[in-house]
Amino acid sequence: MKTRLKVFFPLGLLVILVLLLPITVMIIASFQSIDGGFSLDNYHQVLSNHYYMEAIRNSLGISLITSGISLIIVIIGAWALTKLAPKTKNILLSLFNMSSSFAGVPLAFSLIILFGNAGIWQALMTTLHLPRTFEIYSLSGTTLAYTFFEVPLGIMFLFPVFEELNPEWKEISSVLGAKPLFFFKKVIFPVILPNIVEVFTLLFANAMGTYETTFALTGNSIVTIPTLIGTLIDGGLTANIPMACTFATLFALVMTTIVWLGNRVTRSKREVKA
Amino acid sequence: MSHKASNRVARAIITFLFVYLATPIAVTMLYSVSTSWVKTILPKGLTLKWYGQLVTNSDFMSALVRSFALGFLTTVIAMACFLPVVFYANVYNPKVKSHLRFITVLPFTIPGIILVTGLIQLYADLPIPKLLILVLAISLLSLPLTYQALDNAFIGRDFRAMFEQALVLGDSPFKAFIKVIIPNIRAGVLVAMLLTFTSAFGEYVLTNILLGGNFETLKIYMYRLMQSNGQASSVLTTIYFIFLAFISLILILIMQHYSAPHKSTKEGAKK
Repeated sequence: MKTRLKVFFPLGLLVILVLLLPITVMIIASFQSIDGGFSLDNYHQVLSNHYYMEAIRNSLGISLITSGISLIIVIIGAWALTKLAPKTKNILLSLFNMSSSFAGVPLAFSLIILFGNAGIWQALMTTLHLPRTFEIYSLSGTTLAYTFFEVPLGIMFLFPVFEELNPEWKEISSVLGAKPLFFFKKVIFPVILPNIVEVFTLLFANAMGTYETTFALTGNSIVTIPTLIGTLIDGGLTANIPMACTFATLFALVMTTIVWLGNRVTRSKREVKA
Repeated sequence: MSHKASNRVARAIITFLFVYLATPIAVTMLYSVSTSWVKTILPKGLTLKWYGQLVTNSDFMSALVRSFALGFLTTVIAMACFLPVVFYANVYNPKVKSHLRFITVLPFTIPGIILVTGLIQLYADLPIPKLLILVLAISLLSLPLTYQALDNAFIGRDFRAMFEQALVLGDSPFKAFIKVIIPNIRAGVLVAMLLTFTSAFGEYVLTNILLGGNFETLKIYMYRLMQSNGQASSVLTTIYFIFLAFISLILILIMQHYSAPHKSTKEGAKK
């Protein structure tokens, strides 16, 4: 018992100090009114304030579209990756890992060079006498920006699943006379569907929590839940920390539920298989 | 679709993906060596003068030192928290692992921006150095990476027998761990340390909001430059990218060097 205590002490202390305590305090603060008493005012404001509702709408819209598009690219990309030689696979996986850590300020800056007002894309459009069709500082620009880290992240999650699929299944089913489409619909799809759902929930949650890229790319002109929280914390005159706590509490609650459900889908499937 | 044709399609897809993901990086690199590149398709000329300007700037050096310090401290704390736990879970009590699973989804359920809200609410008015809180919080957020890399290090060998033999021979548990276990998992530990270091080195959200820009790390400096000086910012972004590429190269080398014997034991066990 004593050694067990020693083993868990550092991690336990860390989790209590910078996870459990702050999150508990944050939840309590979200139920406090300005004078300190218990109230649901903050939650009521989330629903009645237009600016807050816009943040929620933007976050949901960007995240759903970007994780949907990314998921399609991820499925195709992860399938293609399984076809390559083992050495190439490892190198590419490391590169994907690297490009997902390129997210944030560097990514935003690169995209501004490419698509910004003085950027290469605009120069190209001007030379070709085409109208300006794409604005990087917009909702669709932000959606595009997210795909640059969502795609590599998704491939890293989904690739191991595809890699474990048994190639003998295909032989067996074709010996039994199954057409490729039938094989895909009745064998492969049911096996990978739960994993695809799980990857989608993680990509969605990841997009919902993105602050750095959005903030660096658009300043505060596109408001999402994370950038709204950022403004509520250090926005000078408009700072409202209890309100930030309310949004953060809602966020943590909803995301924990979604990720938990996503995890459950795969786990119940695994139990059935066993 | 024949085997050969599907392989060709696969290669085309991967090439396309690679170009798609690499274009922003390549453009930034080209921007960093161009004399001027505004509203034209190609840069006007090439130069290295922006590199000279940035590297001799004292702000750059101090930001670099701060980021390195942050990365180093975080790595030490993350290792101290996780090495004993992952060892214990793998060798003595695999059930613990299912309880540790919550850590792997932490960055998705409680991302940096949410965690920092709680930290501000709790620690803003307490007389505890914010820098200490920052290092601890970054360690917490890097735990999923650390955990998975360390957990992989324990696959495929009987560490319990090794550890208990050392205890029987009279070593204390701590000494036995350092002398017998660590040398056998050093590749995994090294990978975990590099991944933890990189994530702390490039941290932005917690540092910026918790310390309000008073502690200018590389990423915060990058953001400031981005607003004022595009050339300098592209140089910094390129340097940051080369740093990431260098770490990835080391990771690839470690994995290639150490994965071969591991794989053969795994396959041997299957047979």
